[in-house]
Amino acid sequence: MSDTAIGFGLIGIGMLVVLGIVFVVFSRGGPAEARPKPPQGVHLPSPSFLPVVLSLGGALIGSGLAFRGDNEIANPFLAIPGLLVFVAGCVWWVRAANHEWRDTEHGSHGDEATH
Amino acid sequence: MTAQARPAGEGPPIANGSPGMPTALVGMLLFIASEVMFFGGLFATYFNARASVAPEPWEPPPGGHLDLALAAVLTAILVASSFTMQFGVWAIRRGDTGKLKMWTAITLALGVLFLGGQLYDYSELGFGISDGVFGTVFYTLTGFHGAHVFGGAVGLTIILARTMRGQFSARNHVAVEAVSVYWHFVDVVWIGVFSTIYLLR
Repeated sequence: MSDTAIGFGLIGIGMLVVLGIVFVVFSRGGPAEARPKPPQGVHLPSPSFLPVVLSLGGALIGSGLAFRGDNEIANPFLAIPGLLVFVAGCVWWVRAANHEWRDTEHGSHGDEATH
Repeated sequence: MTAQARPAGEGPPIANGSPGMPTALVGMLLFIASEVMFFGGLFATYFNARASVAPEPWEPPPGGHLDLALAAVLTAILVASSFTMQFGVWAIRRGDTGKLKMWTAITLALGVLFLGGQLYDYSELGFGISDGVFGTVFYTLTGFHGAHVFGGAVGLTIILARTMRGQFSARNHVAVEAVSVYWHFVDVVWIGVFSTIYLLR
C-alpha cells in the first residue's frame, strides 16, 4: 500500500473518530422535554475575543500550508500551533456558549438589559 | 412578553414571535446563501484556470487519470442519500421518530460511504494537489465539497443522537429540517462538481 493510500486512510479513520465523538457527546443527557426553556425576549451574545483567537489559528494553519518545504504537507512550526489554537478556540467557544445558555435559562443573563 | 406589556419606545425591541419560518431555518438558508457564493468562486476559479491553459488540452497530469465510473457511483450514492434524508423529514413531520432514526442512519451511512469512496478515489488518481493547475483546482473543488459532506455528516450524527434521545416530535424538529436543507445543498453542489469535472471534458 502506498504512502498516499495510507495518508487518505488515516484521514478516513480520523473522520470516523470525530463522528463517533460527536455521537457520544450528543447522546448524553435526557430528552429535550427535561430542558427548561429560556425566558422569552432578546438575548444577544456577550462580547468575545474568541472569534479573533479562531481567526489567528486559521491564519497560522494557512501560513503553515503556504510556507512549507518541498516535501512537506505543511510547515509544522506554523501549522501545529495553528491547529492547537484553532481547536482550543473551538472548544473554548462552545464552552462559553453553553455557559451563556445556562445563564440565560436561569434568568441571570443580561441583567443590565431590559427583556 | 407581549407588545402591550411595555410602552412603545422603551427597552430593546421585542423578539419576533410570528409563526413564520423558524429562526434556525432562516439562519441555515442565509448560511447556504453564503456557501453558494463560496462555491461560485471555486467554480469561477476552475473555469478561469481551464481557459488559461487553452489551447493545451485540459486533462490530468501525466500518469494520472480520472475514474468516471467511480465518480458516477459516488454521485448515485449522494443523490440517493438526499432521498433518504427527505424520507426522514417526512417521517418526523408525521411524528414517526422510529422512521426518522432509520432514514437518518441510512443517510449518514451513505454520506460516510461517499466520503470513503472519495478518499479511495484520491489514493488511486495518480496525481496530487501540487501537480499542475489541473491537480490544484481538482483537489480544491472536490476537497472543499468533501469537507462540506463531512460537515453534513456531523450534522446527521447530531440529528441521529438527538433522535435517539427523543428530542424531536412532529411539532419540534427544526434542526432536522435545517440539516436536511444543508444536505440537499451539498448534493446539488456535487452534481455541479461532477458535471463540471467529469462530464464537461
